Amino acid sequence: MDWDQFDLNPKTIAALKKADIKSVKEILNLSGADLQRLMKLSSADIQCLLKTVSHTLRRNSMLTALQLYQDKDHFTSQHQKLSLGCSVLDNLLKGGIPLVGITELAGESSAGKTQIGLQLCLCVQYPYKYGGLESGAVYICTEDVFPSKRLQQLIDQQHKLRADVPAEVIQKIRFGNSIFVEQAADLDTFQQCITRRLALLLARGMVRLVVIDSMAALFRCEFGPAEAALKARYLQTFGAQLHSLSTRFRTPIVCINQVWVLGGRVTPALGITWSNQLLMRLMVSRVSHSPGAAPHCAGSTRTLSVVFAPHLPPSFCYYTVQLEGVKGMK
Amino acid sequence: MQREVGTLPLAPALRARLAAAGFQTAQELLDTGPCGLSKEIGISREEALEALQVVRQECLGDATRTAGGAGASRKCTALELLEEEQSQGFIITFCSALDSILGGGVQLTKITEICGAPGVGKTQLCMQLAVDVQIPESFGGVAGEAVFIDTEGSFMVDRVVEIAAACVQHCHLIAEAQQEEEHRKALETFSLENILSHIYYFRCRDYTELLAQVYLLPEFLSEHSKVRLVVIDGIAFPFRHDFEDLSLRTRLLNGLAQQLIIIANDHKSAVVLTNQMTTRIGQSQSTLVPALGESWGHAATVRLILHWDNSQRLATLYKSPSQKESTTAYQITSHGFRDVQPPAVTHSTGGTELNPRKRPRTEEEKQ
Repeated sequence: MDWDQFDLNPKTIAALKKADIKSVKEILNLSGADLQRLMKLSSADIQCLLKTVSHTLRRNSMLTALQLYQDKDHFTSQHQKLSLGCSVLDNLLKGGIPLVGITELAGESSAGKTQIGLQLCLCVQYPYKYGGLESGAVYICTEDVFPSKRLQQLIDQQHKLRADVPAEVIQKIRFGNSIFVEQAADLDTFQQCITRRLALLLARGMVRLVVIDSMAALFRCEFGPAEAALKARYLQTFGAQLHSLSTRFRTPIVCINQVWVLGGRVTPALGITWSNQLLMRLMVSRVSHSPGAAPHCAGSTRTLSVVFAPHLPPSFCYYTVQLEGVKGMK
Repeated sequence: MQREVGTLPLAPALRARLAAAGFQTAQELLDTGPCGLSKEIGISREEALEALQVVRQECLGDATRTAGGAGASRKCTALELLEEEQSQGFIITFCSALDSILGGGVQLTKITEICGAPGVGKTQLCMQLAVDVQIPESFGGVAGEAVFIDTEGSFMVDRVVEIAAACVQHCHLIAEAQQEEEHRKALETFSLENILSHIYYFRCRDYTELLAQVYLLPEFLSEHSKVRLVVIDGIAFPFRHDFEDLSLRTRLLNGLAQQLIIIANDHKSAVVLTNQMTTRIGQSQSTLVPALGESWGHAATVRLILHWDNSQRLATLYKSPSQKESTTAYQITSHGFRDVQPPAVTHSTGGTELNPRKRPRTEEEKQ
């Protein structure tokens, strides 16, 4: 760290170099008394040092809520969301998936989680005005093989799903080219994938969506009840790393999760440690029969519900999985 | 001037040398002068000059403090403290049941911690408070501004807009019902845009940024003296990973708590922190407890735990110096934090509500 560029007293700079302090983080990790002893400076000098390095770290970091509200820039605005490709589903989520934070999609098997995940990988590639982010997606598979046939079907039928988008716009997008599929069947591979591969793709601006299918599969076999603390540490570390990537690159992370039965109720897997990492939780389930739906739809009608989100009330809507993709029902 | 050398804010090594040379009081230092000092303890003339400057400033500071200014060494009686505490404002939550178990609302000059599982309403309550702190005095509020430090990225401004709009609407209804001049005047500046512009938002992405931000808070609060609420949502998130050394974490959290206590007191603000819940595995069962460990439990003055009972949201006052432990139900509507049942309707004319601090009750539209 080049202390000379900081707005500090030469005496303080000399003391920093002599005490071999290499980063702002080191300074903030020490208490005032420790710093005094280490650097042999008075408490007034130390207070001044702390204020100066804090200013440098937090320069220009304040915004008023009004500025947040009025920000319309595509990259920074909170109003910008990732559309799901269907106006009914988007209305449920008041626009779509938020760009910063981890969104969970939990549900029993064959409820449609992978379908929604694939659909998002296509939606993200559309221009901003059609609810996309003009970028690609990373799809991390942890147990099943990536459904490439189904993806191809969806690509072929995009014009049918996205009737709101002009045909020439759809034709120009090379959907298959911008979806990066990664396989990570165990924890170490997953860790590598996030810290190396994902970070690289995000830094190059090639992707602006990460879908992880699924989180629970990573933890299924490896942890018995005695290793709860270790499992919690992994979950917290992954959560923090994903959260950090999401914040830095303003990229939504969608984690697909399974459900288990706890105390007679169906709840998402991985417990409260994982729930603490989430911004938003959605659940999908099959409905045995839905009131008001056309008879031929019964059996394939599903529910998408908002379990929690900072900006949405608990609510739900119905949807079906068609050839062209996932479509909400009014 | 009789201040002991050991209490002066000089570098520890310098203090040690002065003690070894036999200096005991600040007056002795000042009498010796810089040349004598540098010879006696073997430091350069510049260092001696600097040290004496510090000593002079300290003694000057002491003199003004004892002359009756507000300071750390001011004496006061318990009666004065009681009067001060009773006149202290509360920030209401709009859920009158919750306000009453808290003793009036979230109290200024105290640290309140809100714990709960994800989705129970911690961030909602924080957003509600950031709006409610701005309610004008004529409506029973503290007319303050808010600082919102977000570590999780869960501050969604659209939701704050909904809550603020509902609050403004509520005040308009009161003003129409009571037809008082001061209400109308207050409403001129109590608008959605005004409310949003007085919520100061800081996003901290890791614990280092959070620590730095809290070091800068006193200066910020001195510049923005109307701030009456500091929210940190959440305090647990940046501290629950990345710590091989838990004793470092405990030390940092303690330091943070100390600074927040000083901030709350010096700037007459309420400090509200949100905390996560974690599972504590006991002998026969596991329970949910607030995160960050036992020692963190001492940091906050008031601890509120939000939890579920089937589909009903409940708030339990778990720790408070003045209120007893109790539980109440609440709900979160599109307008924000609210009671489960609307409060009793009192058809009051202007005359019956004599205490301007008391929030007037009106019938609420149940969502």
